[in-house]
Amino acid sequence: MVSRGIGLSVPGFRADLDVLATVLIARLKIISRYRGFLVMEALLPIIFAAFPLLLGTAIGGPNAGANFLRNTGQASVPDVTSYYRLYMLLGACTFTVVTLMMWLIGYWVRREQETGTLESMYLAPAKRFYVLAGVTTYAFLRSMLIFFIALTLGSLAFGVNPLSGNILLALGFMAAGFLPLWGIGFLFGAFILKIKEANSIVQMMQWVVAFLMGIYYPVTFFPPLMQYAAASFPPTMMNDGVRSSVLGVGYLFGSGWWVPFALLIGFSLVLPLLGYQFFLDTERRLKRKEGVGQY
Amino acid sequence: MPSPIIRVEHVSKTFISKERKKGEKKKKKAVDALKDVSLDIYDGEFFGLLGPNGAGKTTLIKCLTTLLIPGSGNMWVNGFDVLKEEDKVRASIGCMLMGDRGLYWKLTGRENLNYFGALYHVPKPVRTKRVDELVQLLELSDFVDRTVETFSSGQKMILAFAKSLINDAPILVLDEPTVTMDVPTARKLRSIVHDLHRQGKTIVYTTHLMHEAEELCQRVGIIDRGEIIAVGSPAELKASMRREDAVDIEGIFPANVVEDLRALAGVHSVMVKAEDAGRSKLSILCENSRVMLPRIIEKTIGNGATIEYIKPQEVTLEDVFLAKTGRTLGIDTRQVFGGEAKPSGGGG
Repeated sequence: MVSRGIGLSVPGFRADLDVLATVLIARLKIISRYRGFLVMEALLPIIFAAFPLLLGTAIGGPNAGANFLRNTGQASVPDVTSYYRLYMLLGACTFTVVTLMMWLIGYWVRREQETGTLESMYLAPAKRFYVLAGVTTYAFLRSMLIFFIALTLGSLAFGVNPLSGNILLALGFMAAGFLPLWGIGFLFGAFILKIKEANSIVQMMQWVVAFLMGIYYPVTFFPPLMQYAAASFPPTMMNDGVRSSVLGVGYLFGSGWWVPFALLIGFSLVLPLLGYQFFLDTERRLKRKEGVGQY
Repeated sequence: MPSPIIRVEHVSKTFISKERKKGEKKKKKAVDALKDVSLDIYDGEFFGLLGPNGAGKTTLIKCLTTLLIPGSGNMWVNGFDVLKEEDKVRASIGCMLMGDRGLYWKLTGRENLNYFGALYHVPKPVRTKRVDELVQLLELSDFVDRTVETFSSGQKMILAFAKSLINDAPILVLDEPTVTMDVPTARKLRSIVHDLHRQGKTIVYTTHLMHEAEELCQRVGIIDRGEIIAVGSPAELKASMRREDAVDIEGIFPANVVEDLRALAGVHSVMVKAEDAGRSKLSILCENSRVMLPRIIEKTIGNGATIEYIKPQEVTLEDVFLAKTGRTLGIDTRQVFGGEAKPSGGGG
């Protein structure tokens, strides 16, 4: 057998980082060419938050905030109306981050399959890890951008101050929640790679995730078993941690902030590795069957 | 002959497809896409893989390019084991798959080339220069800085071809590259591929168009129903049929003529191509046309046919395929999807 070198390819760590950067930049360019898309996306959490606020006011009248505070059993706060509004807005914004991360990472595979670029990608020597790293970094940047635009606009619209409570800790919860989300995104991506026609499942999953995260209510409202299942779900911990830190109220499991935070860190170590491994295994299984590009 | 740069040893691949028939339970069906395929492709060679749709060409290409893992067998590309050194194999190949749609429509042509260059680990300064070279070589400058969504189909295909050249790999794999191209673009692509081969690249070119294979390839492997049934240069393959002549007869033929001709001793195959206004063309492969032609004419006219034109033909790769398989290259064997084979124009 003869070998004639590998053309212009120069593999190595620099090339791997180049893959990450190129994938990220390409994604940013693509989204920037859909005019107005980001602004419209940022309006969604405000609309999501407006639903329960208006419903709450319709049911509870001027006492909606006080009723919510009493029923959710949270600590007393000076301005009940602001508390109620910020509670909904933070839940909706965090849900948008979670769903965007899951959607952008998980559904990325499917989109590439549909556009035919997945096979082209698999023909190239770039390691999947760095391509995925580019995609996840893009998902992170986009979801953070949406979070902050939505929170700012939403705060102005609902007349609330999001810069209350322990902001640093809220950001810490957000950061700690991202790595498990990557892992869930990879798991989700592998699942979509396998079953392909995933639209209905993706749609349903969004609402299941919203339900489990308790975006409009504390998960302590659930029956005991479900309560623990929901509380063990990293997006729930992230949502609860951010909300509790900003609003200065109690954390999950009736504990201090460090318990859900430590659990999130634990998930951060395990879930991305688990998700990535599962993704690679699924990919390999598919290559033994019909191939990754078939859809 | 130089050393092999691609070696395929006893490769088999079976797909499991699910069959759904009305009123019946879903059934699994195994389809052998590749059956014990062995093949050497030599360094610097222009190798054609010729076969009808569904013959297994794309499956073999996908196995070679690491997109599929074969059920059994071994393969080496550029000295690297396809199953163990996937990244090196990928870096050794520039590939354009059939009907390549692998472009980002919201990126410009240049951005697409840059993107895939990065995926092929081509360093940025080298990449920029390489993209400029390709723009010049393939005459992309009129449209390369527009987003792909504004391209015509031909422009997309030529950009997909440029993508396969971005890493300047020693092996270029082209899977039916001209299938959706207009005639001038296809001609231009063939000319460029020919030049690349002259510069020393090994080319693996799959096609079901025999004129492409005859025009370009030094050696051809004929594949049918997942099996390599003949390998050799076009001249060798045609020489293997020297004892056979090809004759084309045009005219108006009653239905039983074809069967009667097939039954005639010395006639190996008869292929029917429908023309317009009730006319047909029979392509006949037979032993020694000087001896056979009077018998063929007698049999045809005796059946009430009207002969308008008779022409002895050079043996083509299509005739080789017909003689080896009993079918034409225009056939769609639908290996993977489990449909029945339907000849496009009669059959021999």
